[in-house]
Amino acid sequence: MNGDADGVTDAPAAASPRPRRPRPRPAGRAGGELLFRLADDEFVHAERLTEWQIYAPTLESDLALANIAQDEFGHARLWYDLLQELGYTEEECIWRRDPDDWTHATLVELAFADDGWGDAVVRTYLYDTAERLRLEALVDTSYAPLADRVGKALAEEDYHRDHAVSWLERLASDDDARARLQAAVDDLFPHALSLFAPGAHEDDIRANGFRRASLADMRAEWLDTVVPTLEGYGLVVPEPDDVERPAARGRDRTHTDDWGDLQAAFTATHREVDFDRPARLRGEEA
Amino acid sequence: MDIETVKERAGPRQFGPNDDMPEEYRKAATRMIQFHANSEVMGGYLDKEFTRHAPSLDRKLANTAKVQDEIGHAQLLYRAAETLGVKTRDEMLDELQNGEGKFLNCFHYPVDSWYEAPMIDFFVDGGAMRRQATLKSTSWTPYAHAMDKVCFEEGFHVKHGESILRELMRGSKATQERTQETFEEWWPRILQFFGPTNDQSTHNDFAMDVGLKTVTNDELRNSFLNMYVPKAEKYGLEIPESPRIFERDDGTMAVRESDLDWDEFWTIAKNDSDGSHEQIGSRARRQEAVAWVRDSLDNWEGSAAGTPQAAD
Repeated sequence: MNGDADGVTDAPAAASPRPRRPRPRPAGRAGGELLFRLADDEFVHAERLTEWQIYAPTLESDLALANIAQDEFGHARLWYDLLQELGYTEEECIWRRDPDDWTHATLVELAFADDGWGDAVVRTYLYDTAERLRLEALVDTSYAPLADRVGKALAEEDYHRDHAVSWLERLASDDDARARLQAAVDDLFPHALSLFAPGAHEDDIRANGFRRASLADMRAEWLDTVVPTLEGYGLVVPEPDDVERPAARGRDRTHTDDWGDLQAAFTATHREVDFDRPARLRGEEA
Repeated sequence: MDIETVKERAGPRQFGPNDDMPEEYRKAATRMIQFHANSEVMGGYLDKEFTRHAPSLDRKLANTAKVQDEIGHAQLLYRAAETLGVKTRDEMLDELQNGEGKFLNCFHYPVDSWYEAPMIDFFVDGGAMRRQATLKSTSWTPYAHAMDKVCFEEGFHVKHGESILRELMRGSKATQERTQETFEEWWPRILQFFGPTNDQSTHNDFAMDVGLKTVTNDELRNSFLNMYVPKAEKYGLEIPESPRIFERDDGTMAVRESDLDWDEFWTIAKNDSDGSHEQIGSRARRQEAVAWVRDSLDNWEGSAAGTPQAAD
């Protein structure tokens, strides 16, 4: 596939009628799956992280986490823009999309408790480590428009990982805070294990050279990184194979109740105002 | 320096941390800057609601950036306030959390809809712009420096708010009507943003005399009305009949202040309206929920491993 719009139509069910696009080639479906996984993760992760704006423990931590949330929204926009080049609209990608069509990992959709700063730290650590591996595996993708953008996203991930690690280090040095980190690991690790679960078109993604590394290899590398790191901070990480996994796996479009609530909340105004199209402000103010 | 000397020398960016300022000046400047910093924080409690509501990805990004700017402004302003040596930032944040800290009247009203976004981001921020532009000439130099950066960013916020208003007023009839209703609810609060007429303002005379303020409340409201009434009308909003707006002999605009509810304004000024309790309660609850993080940071910084730079 050369990146031309070749009509990916295993589109998420859109509530609004749209002109039919040509029947897709497998490469288009595979590219769509790859991009939606990237975009959905970033969008939903950012949507949750912005909940900490104004509520973070200090002004400095507020600014730092807001930076990360904005980077992730920016990455989501990169990937959704590419999907728009494939023929989707922003409404179809986000606003009018059936919540049961989203493919983000359940890790990023979970609601935060008011005191859940430890959750935010562990979640960003687990997520950003996976994100880095995932982007690195796309550096030499055969999909040229994607290759152009991976570098930008990757450049920002270093900061995200450093941010998460420095928070782990600080919180782990305090008994009470470490207990909270442990609780977050217990809650989040079972969800994080589905980060690398394959989707329906995984074989085509590989066959087309969109991603060189296999999900199984990436998952193994992710475990080799996060398990020793967390253990190094005195945290107990369960044996992956022994973990009781949540029913919802995210990648297969099954989600927790938290997702339904979140999706209903962030689409409410869009449904109500019913503008012709979502405002685009590139170069103006966004 | 005694007060008389301060009054004689008062002018734009006349005084700074190297000057030996009288306590009365330092306290008045602290009160003013702390109020401003608190308002940036508490404005964020409204604006953050709009991030979740934003009906496009670009709007969502613009909104999170705005909320982040507000925290950045608060950080700058608390630092400028600290240069007066009256209160530390922690003391000011504690006061905000326990209900002693004062902030703008408009931020005592909780919000829950996107229609309110332009009321805050266009009209309230537009009013704030009028005030902040004049504060670039305040006599306390660190405050004036903070205003340089704040005013630059506020310009983007007001454009963001204006763009939201324009879009809503080009929407369906129902959307336009909801926006008009919301405007009517907010309009009196926005007019009260500038405070009461000059002679009723407790701290006004002294602040003017020592150059902390350079323009009166009345002049600010007048300048706001001259600029924003035509803008509101341009986008199709109707200015409510009450409070009455009239044109003075010199062609400038003013509001019949007797048409505004000053009991409500003064209740808010005492942090005692229902909205005050809700907003300050939210601040207190959310800050309390993550007190454990601040405690662990204190432990970390007190330990051998911690370095002050690590505290972000």
